[in-house]
Amino acid sequence: MKMNFLKAMVFAGAVALAGCSTVPTTTPTLDEARADFVAANNNPQVATYAQMEFKQAGEALDRANQAAAQRESLDTIDRLAYVAKQKIATAQEVAKAKAAEAEVANAGRERDRVQLEARTAEADRAKRDAAAAQAQAAAAQAQAQDAQAQAAAAQQQAAQQADRAARLEALLVELHAQKTERGMVVTIGDVLFATDRAELNANGMATVKKLAEIMTQNPDRTVMVEGFTDSTGSAAHNKDLSERRAASVAQALVGLGVPRERIGMRGYGEAFPVASNDTASNRQLNRRVEIVLSNAGAPIPPRAAQR
Amino acid sequence: MDTKSMNLLMRVGAAAAVLSLAACASPEKTPATAAVAVSHNAVENAVTAGAPELAPAEISAARDKMMRANQALAAKDYKTARELAVQAQADAKLAQSKANSAKATAAADALNEDLRVLRQEVDRANSDQQQ
Repeated sequence: MKMNFLKAMVFAGAVALAGCSTVPTTTPTLDEARADFVAANNNPQVATYAQMEFKQAGEALDRANQAAAQRESLDTIDRLAYVAKQKIATAQEVAKAKAAEAEVANAGRERDRVQLEARTAEADRAKRDAAAAQAQAAAAQAQAQDAQAQAAAAQQQAAQQADRAARLEALLVELHAQKTERGMVVTIGDVLFATDRAELNANGMATVKKLAEIMTQNPDRTVMVEGFTDSTGSAAHNKDLSERRAASVAQALVGLGVPRERIGMRGYGEAFPVASNDTASNRQLNRRVEIVLSNAGAPIPPRAAQR
Repeated sequence: MDTKSMNLLMRVGAAAAVLSLAACASPEKTPATAAVAVSHNAVENAVTAGAPELAPAEISAARDKMMRANQALAAKDYKTARELAVQAQADAKLAQSKANSAKATAAADALNEDLRVLRQEVDRANSDQQQ
């Protein structure tokens, strides 16, 4: 296009030299058309989108330049320059329109892309929200299950406790236990021992077994095993016998699995009679082993004064 | 100077005038009906493209020249008719391309604005999510 322009100028010059006049003439309109042509030639959009229109504009400008070179009337030069000017402007407008159309197509594609992006983000967000809600629901469910399990455990514990209490009650009734301020007292009479000996017989062993069961089921209780005799015989012998019988019971409890540290043991001999020693039946009452079962979690207070 | 020589001089002068006209300008003798029809078409196309609203100065110039071209045609002034038709056609084509470029530019601007708003919304939605 630049070449065309240059050619046109050279040609115009040549024609001017060879034509009717030696001095080329021009008009303001022709000057404007020439300037517009240079501007259009420098517009890359024109080269891309309006080649045909620009070519036609160049040809119109050539005709105007020829007319100027041939010193035709100013009116004719102006007229041709005007047409060239309009054609150059047309090329500029065509280029502008096509560039805008290209932009429209581009913007449309870009909008589709952004919309897709937005929908993808929205979907991701929804997914994340759903996952969070699900997690929350799961957590709530787990919490409810925990609470339920806890309640069930508490219920079970309560039931166990009640069951244990009932069993303890039943066993204590079976053992004819007496409630005292020191705790429940189970008395093993001397008929459960071989005469003048410390070994438990089968019935005595059965009683001790029940006691061991109570101890196992109530780990917060301790026992104090206390041996007593009647006043027959020497005090030293009686003390020894009472200690051996208490030890025998304690040993039997240990043998049945009761920890040693939960068993206290003491022999009192002929002290603390429960009856006067003047009749055989009363003396038999005094020959005994008392097993004091502590209250839950409490120590056994020491034997105080004679009761 | 006698009449004969005067006559000769006038003849030579007339011949010179005719020659000069033939050399520097070529007078139009054929009817310009086709040129006027083409420019008429161009004006109609420009009007269809929306030139009365989008390029009023150009389309009124084209219409004015069209009218004068028709008048010249009727007066058998074919040279003027042809010149005016050519100018009217140039004006009409400029009016049409101006209308087209205005529409295309408006469409592109509107789309770009839509795009800007859409991008803003997407950005806002995304940044809300991140908070």
